[in-house]
Amino acid sequence: MSEAASANPPKPSSSVKLVLLGEAAVGKSSLVLRFVNDDFQENKEPTIGAAFLTQKCSLPTRTIKFEIWDTAGQERFASLAPMYYRNAQAALVVYDVTKPSSLTKAKHWVAELQRQASPGIVIALVGNKLDLTNDGGDVSEASTAPEADSGSTGAEGDAGAGEEGEEQDATPGDARKVSRREASSYAQEEGLLFFETSAKTGTNVVDVFTAIANAIPESSLKTGRGAGAGTGQTQLSGRSADDSRVNLGDRNAATAKEGCAC
Amino acid sequence: METLADTSWDLIIAGTGLAESLLALALSRSGKKVLHVDKNPYYGGTEAAFSLDEAQQWMDGVNRRPGQSPFEDVRIVTSHDAHDPSQTDRPKLSPSRSYTLSLSPYSLYTRSQLISTLISSKVYRQLDFMAVGSWWIYASEEDDTLTGAARVLQRVPGNREDVFADTRISMKSKRSLMRFLRHISKPADEEDLAPEAEDLSMPFEEYLASKFSVPADLHNPLHSLSLSQLSQPETSASYAVPRVQRHLASIGALGPGFGAVISKYGGGSEILQVACRASAVGGAVYALDTGIQSVEDSDAEEHPVKVQLSTGESVQTRSVVGAIWDLPSQKPIESSGIRVARSITIVSAIFESLFPVTVEGAPVPASAVLMFPGSTLGSPNSPPVYLQVHSSDTGDCPRQQSIIYGSVAQPGPAGQSLLESAVARLLQPEGPKAAVLWSLRYSQLGRLSNGHIPPTLSEHSPHVHSFLPPNLDLAFEDETVSLVKEAWQKIMGDEARSDEFMIFDDRDGASDD
Repeated sequence: MSEAASANPPKPSSSVKLVLLGEAAVGKSSLVLRFVNDDFQENKEPTIGAAFLTQKCSLPTRTIKFEIWDTAGQERFASLAPMYYRNAQAALVVYDVTKPSSLTKAKHWVAELQRQASPGIVIALVGNKLDLTNDGGDVSEASTAPEADSGSTGAEGDAGAGEEGEEQDATPGDARKVSRREASSYAQEEGLLFFETSAKTGTNVVDVFTAIANAIPESSLKTGRGAGAGTGQTQLSGRSADDSRVNLGDRNAATAKEGCAC
Repeated sequence: METLADTSWDLIIAGTGLAESLLALALSRSGKKVLHVDKNPYYGGTEAAFSLDEAQQWMDGVNRRPGQSPFEDVRIVTSHDAHDPSQTDRPKLSPSRSYTLSLSPYSLYTRSQLISTLISSKVYRQLDFMAVGSWWIYASEEDDTLTGAARVLQRVPGNREDVFADTRISMKSKRSLMRFLRHISKPADEEDLAPEAEDLSMPFEEYLASKFSVPADLHNPLHSLSLSQLSQPETSASYAVPRVQRHLASIGALGPGFGAVISKYGGGSEILQVACRASAVGGAVYALDTGIQSVEDSDAEEHPVKVQLSTGESVQTRSVVGAIWDLPSQKPIESSGIRVARSITIVSAIFESLFPVTVEGAPVPASAVLMFPGSTLGSPNSPPVYLQVHSSDTGDCPRQQSIIYGSVAQPGPAGQSLLESAVARLLQPEGPKAAVLWSLRYSQLGRLSNGHIPPTLSEHSPHVHSFLPPNLDLAFEDETVSLVKEAWQKIMGDEARSDEFMIFDDRDGASDD
């Protein structure tokens, strides 16, 4: 109580558990590396072992601390994901815009999340490696104005997604095989956030995480974890400032008095 | 990595129960190549947690393959009203995924070694704990001659203040109770009679009566604090005394007003998954739906064990450690085991009065422990029924509902009928809207820790070991941590430094700054 009275209250801070899913080699770890360290490694070795990273994201009214779980390197066994998306509040499902099969795999992940994960989970579909397409050249334009890019303008008419892809294939230097419109309309149907990113150039990477942070309902933020929580939480860490919290430092200092029945 | 066979493993862990998962966690910074498999498509093995649909699938699987797991006679009972849309005024079951039903709902005392381990290994940061608040004894109405009122559930005094404040206990009884509590709360060296010299072989009720003149009406409350699932005459003082001590010593250790916690979202199942996640971050490879079909010692020097996986792959490893149900050629555990009847019941009631905040500044408890002596269920010779009531604050069920985990050391229909009557007696005063919506009933084979001989790993061959089946006690027993340490020492060999077991720094970025 005295703490609260003494100073300007800091912005409330909440942890958000986020799971990273997608086919191997679509750039999941690179996206996180860009977000967390603002760094990119060319020809990065496949991730060995699974990664866990955290990064804060500051919103006007609160701070979100992302706990990011990366299944890196173990996609083939598909066994980490169920443990990772358990009670996760957000999922980032990544595909490679130059590899159509990776979007198919992403759709499988979305279906599995919708079937198995917490009902309120926020899912973002992310097409990575935008730098390998013609859209990737202009970082700022492509990132913020999806309607203005060549993919969308070329597709205004009745041209199907396939034709559009082929059309773009023909453009020299453009490796895009998945049209923005195809992925975006799928994301819209399924109620997903949608972005195309480049972990290499940084395009849209922070925007993805900010959009997720904004999309998480306040109600699930209060308690730091999925739905259905209440006031009775006792915490071994100071995850949120709350009367019921238990500090680790208190553990040994805590009153032996009460336990002593003499 | 393309296939599991590409790697020569240091260790294959079979099964993802708590012991196996803690071993994986203990090795997560060792640099060892660990492959962790589970024959099931889910984590936790016999300690898993399920949604309603998953519970149904689990039941089908267990009943289809009797003898392949410690579970028997699994059945699900649903209320017709809870599904019938025409019964609009009746409480309804929520969608399958609104529930996390745990096969391991045990309480975790705040001074247990598992809490220390979760803290020193830093994985506690991924867990949320809720307080286990009050203990209650069910007293049938005709017993309650003191007040004359239908005060059916009596709160068990958990500390000195409670005893003084309790108006139902006579002054004389309070004095003898205090003498007992003072006796067991004293550090050993202050005791004129050294604890090892004290005779604890007699039944706990006899110990209380003969040594402290504790009157018989206080035996049940003290019995409940020990969480002994055996009947009073069968509960030895050697089991009960250290556990009542544990109860009293734990109160206040992690905060005021409670001595035990449960992990949110599925109890033990959540803890073991957090351990597996930490192990994966350390580089262990995880494969579900992958069982071990055969294990064969070869002459190869470096990786002498050849393991045939159910996926058809064959892999080489230095050693194998697993749950008894996850290794081939398991020895039957019938002889030493006992069977308990258990039930998991979803009810449309919130039992607000079971979760009082009894000390200023204490968290609102999310769990309460209820003991129904056999006599109150019309079965005086039966062992007691325990119900652990979880409120929706545990994240295990939707608001306006609760989960009741029941256990009685009497298997089969007789045990299930005791559990049913206990749940019915608990629900009865809550009014017509309070009903059983769904329940899962089963018998479980296992063991109770008897406190005499510390259990050890079983050796199948010099390179292959198994953990004992998880015990059936209602509070986590520290022997599991000791077993994990024993296995860790075997795997680490000369590298094992006892004082470094499970002591890890935070990984980058994982701290709370």
